[in-house]
Amino acid sequence: MLEDTIIAVATPPGFGGLGVVRISGKRALAVAGRVFEAKSGGKRPFPVRRPIFGTIRDPERRAALDEAFLTYFKAPRSYTREDVVELSVHGSPAVLESILRLGAKAGARLARPGEFTLRAHLNGRLDIIQAEAVNDLIRSVSLTQARISSRQLGGSLSRRIARLRGRLISLLAAVEAGLEFPEEGLRSGPAAWRRSLSAIVSDIDRLVLSHEAGRALSQGVTLAITGRTNVGKSTLFNALLEEDRAIVTPFPGTTRDFLREELVIDGIVFHLVDMAGLGRAAHPVEKRGIARGQRIAREADGLLLVIDASRAWSEEDERLVRRYLSRNAILVMNKTDLPGKVDRKKVRAIAGENPIVEVSALRGKNIDALRGAIRARFAPRTPETEEVILHARQQNCLQEALGALRRAEKLLAKRHSEEVPAEEIRAAISFIGELTGEVRAEEVLEEIFGRFCVGK
Amino acid sequence: MAGRKGFDIVVVGAGHAGCEAAAAASAMGLRTCLVTIHLETIAQMSCNPAIGGLAKGHLVREIDALGGLMGLLADETGIQFRLLNRSRGGAVQAPRAQCDKAAYRLAMKHRLERIANLSIFQGIVAQVVVKKGAAAGVRTIDGTFLPAKAVIITPGTFLNGLIHIGLHSYPAGRANEPPSVELAEQLKKLGLRILRLKTGTPMRLDRDTIDWTAFTPQPGDDEPVPFSYRTRGPLKNKVDCHLGHTNAATHAVIRRNLAKSPLYGGKIKGIGPRYCPSIEDKVVKFPERARHQFFLEPEGIETTEVYVNGLSSSLPYEVQREILDTIPGLDQAKIVRPAYGIEYDAVSPTELFPTLETRKIRRLYLAGQINGTSGYEEAAAQGLMAGINAALAVKKKQPFVLRRDEAYIGVLIDDLVSSGVEEPYRLFTSRAEYRLMLRIDNTDRRLMGYGRELGLVPDAVWGEYLAKQERIAKAAAFLKKTRVKTEAGDSLSLCEFLKKPEIRLEDVLKWSEFPGALSDEESRFLESETKYEGYIRKQEREIAKAARADSMKIPGGIDFGRVPGLTREAVEKLEKKRPTTLGEARKISGMTPAAVQNVGLYLEILRKKGAQRPPVPRGTGPDDE
Repeated sequence: MLEDTIIAVATPPGFGGLGVVRISGKRALAVAGRVFEAKSGGKRPFPVRRPIFGTIRDPERRAALDEAFLTYFKAPRSYTREDVVELSVHGSPAVLESILRLGAKAGARLARPGEFTLRAHLNGRLDIIQAEAVNDLIRSVSLTQARISSRQLGGSLSRRIARLRGRLISLLAAVEAGLEFPEEGLRSGPAAWRRSLSAIVSDIDRLVLSHEAGRALSQGVTLAITGRTNVGKSTLFNALLEEDRAIVTPFPGTTRDFLREELVIDGIVFHLVDMAGLGRAAHPVEKRGIARGQRIAREADGLLLVIDASRAWSEEDERLVRRYLSRNAILVMNKTDLPGKVDRKKVRAIAGENPIVEVSALRGKNIDALRGAIRARFAPRTPETEEVILHARQQNCLQEALGALRRAEKLLAKRHSEEVPAEEIRAAISFIGELTGEVRAEEVLEEIFGRFCVGK
Repeated sequence: MAGRKGFDIVVVGAGHAGCEAAAAASAMGLRTCLVTIHLETIAQMSCNPAIGGLAKGHLVREIDALGGLMGLLADETGIQFRLLNRSRGGAVQAPRAQCDKAAYRLAMKHRLERIANLSIFQGIVAQVVVKKGAAAGVRTIDGTFLPAKAVIITPGTFLNGLIHIGLHSYPAGRANEPPSVELAEQLKKLGLRILRLKTGTPMRLDRDTIDWTAFTPQPGDDEPVPFSYRTRGPLKNKVDCHLGHTNAATHAVIRRNLAKSPLYGGKIKGIGPRYCPSIEDKVVKFPERARHQFFLEPEGIETTEVYVNGLSSSLPYEVQREILDTIPGLDQAKIVRPAYGIEYDAVSPTELFPTLETRKIRRLYLAGQINGTSGYEEAAAQGLMAGINAALAVKKKQPFVLRRDEAYIGVLIDDLVSSGVEEPYRLFTSRAEYRLMLRIDNTDRRLMGYGRELGLVPDAVWGEYLAKQERIAKAAAFLKKTRVKTEAGDSLSLCEFLKKPEIRLEDVLKWSEFPGALSDEESRFLESETKYEGYIRKQEREIAKAARADSMKIPGGIDFGRVPGLTREAVEKLEKKRPTTLGEARKISGMTPAAVQNVGLYLEILRKKGAQRPPVPRGTGPDDE
């Protein structure tokens, strides 16, 4: 247990209808008691998990600052597993700040960012995955992300990881038993180990693959608008955002650097990037803009490849389209308000799998259809029941584990002496243990004796 | 026997721990006295007639490299030798020998008797004499006082020993030998935390009443591998062991008689070893198995006694008899000594420093089964380390502690003193984090330098070691620089060639002959180093990283009460010891890895305080961006 008691405002800064101050630690109740006075005049102890009405008072000046509800969560049944008190007041920053000041005077310390969750973790209430989920939940911009985070906070991913770890430990125990007791005539052997190993590998692989969707959910999907100069990329950018964000002129090469804005479609965040058109550069600044644009296009999760439908199809169009078509892209035929000069059949033939949407960015024609196409093509697919890996840290641990297990598979397949694949499995277990923040070796032995019959 | 000035060191108990302790301390120049209840049972192998095996064979090698005796005597008195896991990699190969028990006892006694400054004394020690918080000698049951500057206690299963056969029990340290009751009571009074443990031993049969045709012979190796770096000349197999199995009828007898088992009947309170279960344990815990294997192992050349490895039991004699009746080949066998279970007192090893000195009483060392271990090899390793450390303490020199990454002895003692035991502890290779580096083929490179420095490795042995290293270095260079062309036309160094899983050194040397001869041992070393190379480098990096983490400084004024998630007990320990580095904190007995991790995390937070985010994701707070 910690010696000090921490205090912080739990609601966002600024003026709000309500503001909540959270206090955690041994002295939480005492600190709250110094600033809060129950209306009923009832003395402490405060009731547990039931809000009571009262006023916030400065104990020295005896002046009432605000009305408040106090809720007391008794350790260990609280967020941090310590005594926690929440004071719900009107959301004036001045009042909230004075409560912090009074609290500090009464012996609480201002909490550092994330310190409540850190305590919850260190006091054993949340593992690291769950702690990460808390933050994800708070920060989720889409319901899908919130749903996933909330499930992970409930421990669904932790349990899945724990099961994986359990299976790895059983496997290692079987391999180790063969090494430690060569004369016992144990029955499991390389064939059985490889079977369970490949099942585990494919499970971890599924989790690793889910990170693509997870990353898109947690960080958004980057979409680059690309195409030749003067095809109307910036107009399209503005049209999608429904505001005049980019400067649009009739002159080619107006956009020299890139612009980046958030576009939210059905709760999914897309980072829409407008950039310099690809083509012959007239100016060194433009040249650099183009180079930059090419890099962004390369790194983007998806492309909106814009073609001017009112101009004749050129070799340059052809080159551009062919170059980017292997990528995840939507072909946008712009300027359909003007007479068309592009052979649709030809474009369709080149486009292959990639969808084609005809729009007039200028007139806002068919922009909704384009939004729909963007969602259909680029939104991360997340099955309701599957776990999704949202974090790069989790992803790294899983990939390291996967790498080790694939090596173990190969070594076993080559009939390598088992102490080396065992080494790889051990490494994988420790990476998996890192995921939830726990690593132990004794468990392997536990398993050996729980499952095997071994003599002296 | 005791000189007027008393001894430097008194060792109580002459089992595998006591003998190594006494031999090491006296070899380090200290006047040492070894006290034992019966001179006839010095170095008695109370249970199986074998030394070595996985991890245990590794320990024996390590004892030998440090100058201990067990390996040398096991080679000398061995009657069957095997290198286990011969078909597997070098890290999991280990020698094991069936020894002639009587010969081993005599060989040890003979050797100890010839050590100049070692006295052997028959007596039952009743008390450790403690003066000003330090051990000052021992007093025997008949009042004789043996003064000493340090005391090493190695009582095996004798402390409050209680033998069970069926529902009958009687106090004994070993079959029909008196237990140590007074000493057990005194250790309790000294404030050491006492555990109650249990172990057992199978019946011994008369060789001439067994129908040997019913069993599968298990011969020794064609080319036995010795334990000791000092063994000269080839080892000879003189006997076979035999493999047999229990059957459904055996299991039925056991199930029918479980109520007569002191364990299942609830009479035994001590905790037994899971890895060395009695036959009744195996039948109960693995009901799906139709049979269990056992080995028939001769106890010696001059005796007809045969040890039944795998049929340890504390059922009554009549039931043991009935069990044998169900096994073809043993149905006529005569039991010459019945199997029995034994409960005994041990001291929780968390009471010890890594030197095996008790934390409560200075200059008092404990080694062997008293520390909660089982096995001759584990006992001998602790005995050696206790003897060395007691001698160093008397000489006022720095203690000698091995790390987990350099020796199985380090793994063993660190496990004991930092985690304690709940059941008799046995070493396994999987307990080592760096198994690929702790091999029998590099034990001398890991440890002989220490043995030399301590004065326990004789000149001749050291000279051979140096010559061997020179040959190895030459051969390693040769493997690196000699290149050959494969059938596919690629150019490969012999080293790269040797890395292939199925290739042995002898295959490689067919391509290009090494000018010089290599022993099997040296070949094994080169193979292991080459084949494990990538893993070894990786483990070396991990070790370096761990060492860096351990060197993390703990500021003097730190308030451990503020470290999150620590138990009151952990805070008290930290406040008392005031470690200056994370490594020191880790070594405090009873500190869990999680507690150490929290201290590290807290230090990290202190370091970054105010400036950056804590290493764990944020929750809610006013400072959220």
